[in-house]
Amino acid sequence: MAPEEPVPPVPKENPYAQKYVVKKGDTLWKIADEFYGDGKLYTKIFEANQDVLKDPDKIKPGQELRIP
Amino acid sequence: MNKAITLKWVAMLIASVMLVACAGQKEPATRAVADLEASIASIRDDAAKYASAELQQAEAAVVGLKEQLTREDYKGVIAAAPAVSARVASLQQVVSAKREEVKAAMVAASDEWRTLSAEVPQMVEAVQSRVDILTQSKKLPKNVTKDALQAAQTGLEAAKAAWGDATAAFSAGDPVKAVEHARSAKESGTAALSSLGMG
Repeated sequence: MAPEEPVPPVPKENPYAQKYVVKKGDTLWKIADEFYGDGKLYTKIFEANQDVLKDPDKIKPGQELRIP
Repeated sequence: MNKAITLKWVAMLIASVMLVACAGQKEPATRAVADLEASIASIRDDAAKYASAELQQAEAAVVGLKEQLTREDYKGVIAAAPAVSARVASLQQVVSAKREEVKAAMVAASDEWRTLSAEVPQMVEAVQSRVDILTQSKKLPKNVTKDALQAAQTGLEAAKAAWGDATAAFSAGDPVKAVEHARSAKESGTAALSSLGMG
């Protein structure tokens, strides 16, 4: 039996943190550019959403992301 | 001679009756003043906070009664005591009403504090996070100007300072003051969120 994959801790929900629903054609770079003015800061969004994102290059339309 | 002796005896009798009458009034007069002093002492601290003018008037009235006691004017004390007693009773009512008002305010503040103590730190955290990220950005997003970022940073600092004051006041047992500071912190935080386009 394969060992269970460790589940990343679910970040505590902060009602004041912004949310964004991924649209078709979005990338984390593009979202970071929209919210931060700098696509290179996409890692901030990836780190804040590790409970739903396994790979920063794989986001799906309809996914709700926290924008720290 | 007999008449003179009789008059002397009558005078002595009258004096004795007066003395007995006075002695009979001394105890109730003394007790009345002591009771009034005890009544005032039991509410003095709160009365000084909530009704200092009324307290001073009541205390002055009791001082007046004590001066009458010193002069052995027991009848005067007994005659004046009901009015002073009414004044003290009125003071007690004012203090009692104010205590209830303060108690209600404390309960309301404690309820509001529970909400604010959950909201404000999250608000501060959200603003801090965005400010930290935007200060690393090479350029700002379209909806945030340099001035807006500066305003958000100022608001963030104000919110943190007010929140520090709020928690200190709450730790010191003053939820009313704590809520005042927490509201101020929330106001600053809300303005900062708005400056960053997060509101």
